[in-house]
Amino acid sequence: MAEMWINMGPQHPMTHGLWNLRVKVDGETILDAEPVIGYLHRGWEKMTENRVYPQIIPMSDRLCYGSSMTWSHLYCMTIENLMGVEVPERAEYIRVIVLELQRIASHLMWLAAFGTDLGLLTVFVYCMRERELFLDLLQSVTGARMTYNYPRIGGVRNDLPPDFGRDCLRTLDHFEKKLDEYEEIFDGSAIFLMRTQDIGILKAADGMNLGVTGATLRGSGVKIDLRKHDPYSVYHELDWDLCTHPDCDCYARYRVRMDEMRMSCQIVRDALKKIPAGPIRVKVPRNAPKRTAFARVEDPRGEGLMYVIGDGTDKPYRLKVRSPIFVTVSAVPIMLIGYKIADVPAIMGSVDMCLGETDR
Amino acid sequence: MAKEAKRSRKNPGLTGYVLRPMYATLKETIRATLHRPNTVLYPWEKVELPENYRGRPGLVMERCIGCGICMRICPTGCIELVEIEDKDHGKMRKPQVNLGRCMMCGYCAEYCPKKAMIVTPEYELAASSRQDLIYDPYELQHKYKPGYEVHIVEVLPSELKRGAVEREPGREGKDRPELDDKKCIGCARCAKICPTGAAEMGQVGVNEKGKPIKRPKFDYSKCVGCEQCVENCPRDALTMKEVL
Amino acid sequence: MDLYQFTEGIVSWLVGIVNWILNWVGFHGLAGWLGSPDIIKFLTLLGESIVLLAIGFIVAITMIWQERKTLGRLMDRRGAMVVGPAGYFQNIADGLKTLLKEYIIPEKADKTAYNWAPVIMIGSSILLLVAIPLSGRFYMSDLNAGLLFIFAVFSITPFAILMGGWASNNKYSLIGGMRSAAQLISYEIPLLLSMVGVVLLSGSLNIGDIVNAQAESTWFIIPQLIGFIIFMVAIVAEVERIPFDLPEAEAELVEGWWTEYGGMRFGLLMLAEYFRGYAGAAVAVLLFLGGWSGPFLPPEIWFLIKVFIVFFILIWLRGSLMRVRVDQILNIGWKRLLPLAMVNLVIAVVFKTLGWF
Repeated sequence: MAEMWINMGPQHPMTHGLWNLRVKVDGETILDAEPVIGYLHRGWEKMTENRVYPQIIPMSDRLCYGSSMTWSHLYCMTIENLMGVEVPERAEYIRVIVLELQRIASHLMWLAAFGTDLGLLTVFVYCMRERELFLDLLQSVTGARMTYNYPRIGGVRNDLPPDFGRDCLRTLDHFEKKLDEYEEIFDGSAIFLMRTQDIGILKAADGMNLGVTGATLRGSGVKIDLRKHDPYSVYHELDWDLCTHPDCDCYARYRVRMDEMRMSCQIVRDALKKIPAGPIRVKVPRNAPKRTAFARVEDPRGEGLMYVIGDGTDKPYRLKVRSPIFVTVSAVPIMLIGYKIADVPAIMGSVDMCLGETDR
Repeated sequence: MAKEAKRSRKNPGLTGYVLRPMYATLKETIRATLHRPNTVLYPWEKVELPENYRGRPGLVMERCIGCGICMRICPTGCIELVEIEDKDHGKMRKPQVNLGRCMMCGYCAEYCPKKAMIVTPEYELAASSRQDLIYDPYELQHKYKPGYEVHIVEVLPSELKRGAVEREPGREGKDRPELDDKKCIGCARCAKICPTGAAEMGQVGVNEKGKPIKRPKFDYSKCVGCEQCVENCPRDALTMKEVL
Repeated sequence: MDLYQFTEGIVSWLVGIVNWILNWVGFHGLAGWLGSPDIIKFLTLLGESIVLLAIGFIVAITMIWQERKTLGRLMDRRGAMVVGPAGYFQNIADGLKTLLKEYIIPEKADKTAYNWAPVIMIGSSILLLVAIPLSGRFYMSDLNAGLLFIFAVFSITPFAILMGGWASNNKYSLIGGMRSAAQLISYEIPLLLSMVGVVLLSGSLNIGDIVNAQAESTWFIIPQLIGFIIFMVAIVAEVERIPFDLPEAEAELVEGWWTEYGGMRFGLLMLAEYFRGYAGAAVAVLLFLGGWSGPFLPPEIWFLIKVFIVFFILIWLRGSLMRVRVDQILNIGWKRLLPLAMVNLVIAVVFKTLGWF
């Protein structure tokens, strides 16, 4: 058969979002790939130029709706760096707890989508069932399930509810047992290993040259995690390890994310022990100084960065977002070339696309 | 320090092809058959919501003073103030919310100085047309419960340096309007528009022709920081001074 | 009294009534022609086929209901619940909804092949019902080479798939059609070889003889355990269920070669898949699990109970396993199942010469 270009998307049942992946195929083998994004562009960065600093926090939740706490936390950190505000310590601990719960929920959603791509529909329902527990925890703290509007410039919005520690520990105990069961369904299945080992190889040098970050890079054996190497908030005071895996294939990325989920449970337990009493929010000035500032976080999908230019008034002059998936999408052709069309869902599932932050 | 998994060529063996995943799902099936499955049979059963769940915004009509802070802070701009006839105060302006644009962020409840805007746990808001989704102040009303308020729980940086844990009482803590005396022309627009009556015109002297010079005097215990005086001053004589 | 006599009795009674009316009106020649034995035989066969078709439909709809509920409990939820008692009529409602959908024929599609592909598919699936008896007395035709007939009808499907995939004028459908045809053709050989083991042990290709041989000795699953496993794997591949689902994988190919079919054509293709699932499970029960033999209940009920149990295993496989990639499917078919089937054949020959079973 001659070579032909196939469009996977933008209307497709399972491409994790609204984008178009064009692959050039010869029979079943992929010769070239070209991702086309931009279908979900909402003009976020322009909208922020007309809003006061507190009004942008609910908007930053909607950048990546899969892990929205990370992005509003990133925005608040950026503005705190701009204004030179010091956040009280209890607020930092609360932020870390809520962020790690959000990370577990985001990875569970990834696992649900990954299983569905490979054909296993029961895992979707199981993972969403576990995710409901974490969303319930976050709902008891913040009042909403997906776009929380919880971090504020200078702290968090409200304190943890009285029973939170007990509920949280119960949920984590239950979840770790369930995680063992899900590993049995994935790791104990030879079909899964056949479909993900030696597929979608991304060598460490290629990954670093293209700017890939996050679990995708840690699956290639590179030991970089922003929470260890450029610690923000109170991560340097908590006791946890970095997770990485030396194979560069889809199985390695899957393994890194499963280990990260366990590590997040450990971080939350540690933070619940060490959390101090104190105020949770400090008042910030209304106008920003005429400076620039940036901040970066370890999003569940990679490294996110925000850069702000303040101009003395109460609205930002420019707010720029660097999204991790926007960069990883450029590494997708390298991971796809040479494999078969049937491998495309496995590879794209292991990269964990979320289109909200890519297109902004 | 890094938790590195070993390079793995796992071989689950002959049982791995079908038997282990089947056994794992069989356990779940038996559990779901003997006990209830994990489904909430909506609409016959509903999920229990916590007290601080952010459904649609609601209005407690008696408390609202028509200051317009909710209108200014809304990120989508879905709140407008409309004139209604209030039984005690005559014509007043109360908020009207366009629920089609509302993103249920809770800012209107958080910044409302009198806690007249509350977050309610109503989420079943389907309507047949976009016009039905614009709730005027009478439709916006909702019964009040103590858990529905959203408070700003902040400390001032000066208090934080002194080691305070909570905001010290007695300070109203809103930013205050300050007058620039040279620019003021005594038009009294700020006094007319102030919703709480915190700005009042007082005589400070007599000018050359013998007419009284009036300047606004602010009662900071009544001021809620709505900034309507600042916006409406024709000479920009008022600015908000921050209390930090 | 078997099905033929039962239907003949009913048809004769009905023809008697019609003849009485015709005689009363005055058409004596027509009444005589209607009452002749050839016409009675033709009408009896027609009646039998209607009965079997009705039973086939009811069993297929019950199997879809069983699949929805079982898959629901596997996934920790309830299946369809509202329409009918425990959701039984949901499938009928879905079928009626499918009737209301619009047929869209792609512009550059090859009209003849496009229209005929689902006809061949559903026609061959219903044809399987002819040769599958529900019990010793409930059958339509007792072919001497009934097993061969079933296997031959199973093999018509790749034609329909290739026609449908090509005629849709869609790259996705073409790829799906070719993959599907490759998978079906390569799994027919292990299917046939596992059947041959049973034929050796029982000594005939007639299904009634095979079941009677099992009633005398043991169920053939015991000497032919490997054959049973190969047969189940091959049936899962023939019916195109997960884990061998790649031709219709939603993740990449939308619906594979079914993509361009809408409305009742699509509904008929889905129904054809369940008919073939019923036929596969029925053949497994007849060949390996003793057919319709059982203690207290009438043999038809035993047969259906066993068919539903075998189908439960197929549903369970669907709920717990992932899709296998297409070249790995062909790998498994040729490199693993075929040698195993040969080994199974040798075991059957050994058992037969020793005279144990």
